[in-house]
Amino acid sequence: MALKRLFVANRGEIALRIVRAAQALNIETVVAVSDADRDSAAARLADRSVVLGPAQAARSYLDPRLVVHAAKATGCDGLHPGYGFLSERAILPRLCAANGIAFVGPEPEVIESLGDKIQARAMARAAGVPLVPGCDSIASAADARREADKIGYPVLIKAAAGGGGRGMVIAHNGDGAAAGFDRASAEAVAAFGDGTLFMERFVPQARHVEVQLMGDGRGQVIHFGERDCSVQRRYQKLIEEAPCAAMPEHLRAQLHASAVALAASVQYRNAGTAEFLFDIARQEFYFIEVNARIQVEHPVSEMISGFDLVQEQLRIAGGAGLSLRQDQVRLSGHAIECRINAEDTARDFLPSPGRITYWSPPQGEGVRLDSHMSEGAMIPPYYDSMIGKLIVHADTREAAIDRLDAALADFQVEGIATTIGLHREIIAHPDFRANRIHTRWLEQVLLAEREGVAA
Amino acid sequence: MTHKSSIDQPVDQLRILIEEFTRSGIATLHVRSGDFELLLSNDSGTPSLASGRPVANGPVAAPATIPAPAAAPAAVVQAVSAVPDGAVILTAPNLGTFYRAPKPGAAAYVEIGGRVAQGDEICLIEVMKLFTGVRAEVAGTIVAVLAEDGAMVEAGQPLFALVAD
Repeated sequence: MALKRLFVANRGEIALRIVRAAQALNIETVVAVSDADRDSAAARLADRSVVLGPAQAARSYLDPRLVVHAAKATGCDGLHPGYGFLSERAILPRLCAANGIAFVGPEPEVIESLGDKIQARAMARAAGVPLVPGCDSIASAADARREADKIGYPVLIKAAAGGGGRGMVIAHNGDGAAAGFDRASAEAVAAFGDGTLFMERFVPQARHVEVQLMGDGRGQVIHFGERDCSVQRRYQKLIEEAPCAAMPEHLRAQLHASAVALAASVQYRNAGTAEFLFDIARQEFYFIEVNARIQVEHPVSEMISGFDLVQEQLRIAGGAGLSLRQDQVRLSGHAIECRINAEDTARDFLPSPGRITYWSPPQGEGVRLDSHMSEGAMIPPYYDSMIGKLIVHADTREAAIDRLDAALADFQVEGIATTIGLHREIIAHPDFRANRIHTRWLEQVLLAEREGVAA
Repeated sequence: MTHKSSIDQPVDQLRILIEEFTRSGIATLHVRSGDFELLLSNDSGTPSLASGRPVANGPVAAPATIPAPAAAPAAVVQAVSAVPDGAVILTAPNLGTFYRAPKPGAAAYVEIGGRVAQGDEICLIEVMKLFTGVRAEVAGTIVAVLAEDGAMVEAGQPLFALVAD
């Protein structure tokens, strides 16, 4: 049964994106808002909005019972969780099921098992997906040396109970591994009362690559290619591209096959993303985790495939099978997305909430903006600072960068600080043009150069 | 969007008008269209509309953080003729089902004309079988019930009007 009325349990640009996708499929929409979002773009576009509670997310967007109560009371037969908030909490699909509402996402059991790092690694191993080479327990310094020799240097020795960098040592050779064992073990006992250590290969320069997946819940899974999200600051993605231009074709095919095999092994339903670390020096990739939801950066995959992933999510939640076979997925050109945040990059990325007094976004061929903002719109201080995603598409990576450069130059926003200027600096950098970047590049190179100039 | 009309458009229009008014900082707004008339005012000295015509009280009536009766203006418009200027509007703290009585078949916590002390429980809001009591912020006399028993109410929706002691 195709969905008739959809409850949108999110805010910001993704709420608006979901409402538009539903309207294209003639599905009615009810948008949940907090008191701070009564006047949001999604609330205005939707057929109806309901105020869940006060601005604090814990008493509105993050309360699963409140959300499902509202969905049921407004007669919705489907619920889209967006990303963030409750999107990967198994309780949400459980409550939906108990109330006869179709959840736009995977089964709760799948969310739970993929959310558990150990279970997810076991599932990946069973599906033949490469993991970072490592060893689960090391008993002595001699043990550490022998295992490290097998794994290959450098290695990372970590406390099993660890966190925050304590009980963590990087070793570059056998002597380092033996000495590192003693130090990490002592630190781990002191910090956590548990000296158990494990070891894995340390990847000094890696790219973050991920595969966009869509499953029908009955074992059929297709992919929409990979994305490269290596421009990050403190593990937060700033720029995403599709495809990963730095990956050779034979590895790309293996990457896609691994991701599909993992999702198919759990009869994955709806949209998901398998994330990998791409070791640049060794030209190998390792599984990190699966995100069991639509992701912020899904538009770059839509741009190279010409396929609307959110509409497909809604069709699958309504009981339909996949609307494409793998051989009908055609990827072409190159797409790049910039996450535009209301942040002051000169003040350590301090959030800059407030009212937008001027808003003039770029337009043109191959330019897409996913944003809930407009002139006069208010950015409340309670939620994340993303105000939009600027996406460009062109035949080649070079042409896409040129198009992005022009689009960013045209993007005028006043009243708040934004990261538009930083994005212009990033894409103008010779390392970005030459695609010589990795996940620590922004912090180690570009932001370091910036500070050098300021000092 | 053709399916847009399926959801109360006049109510939406009224809600938008009240929100825009609240944000604009305009002191008084008087709208007349056919036999519909609406007076919004931020000034408690503004005279009410004459006769028994529907009048929506502006933000002055609500001491809570919610500036305007946004969620169910239709109910407000019907009931408000009985709400004197300066009445306190008690609002829902979150979305849920509004119950006037502690259990089915029991007497309502409070009726129109009834007196409540500060802190008295005056209704329940239910979310997924979890019932939370709503308490009167001030002592006074209930002069109007602004939401329907058993209906969904949204956060900030007016539930009762009360004339403080």
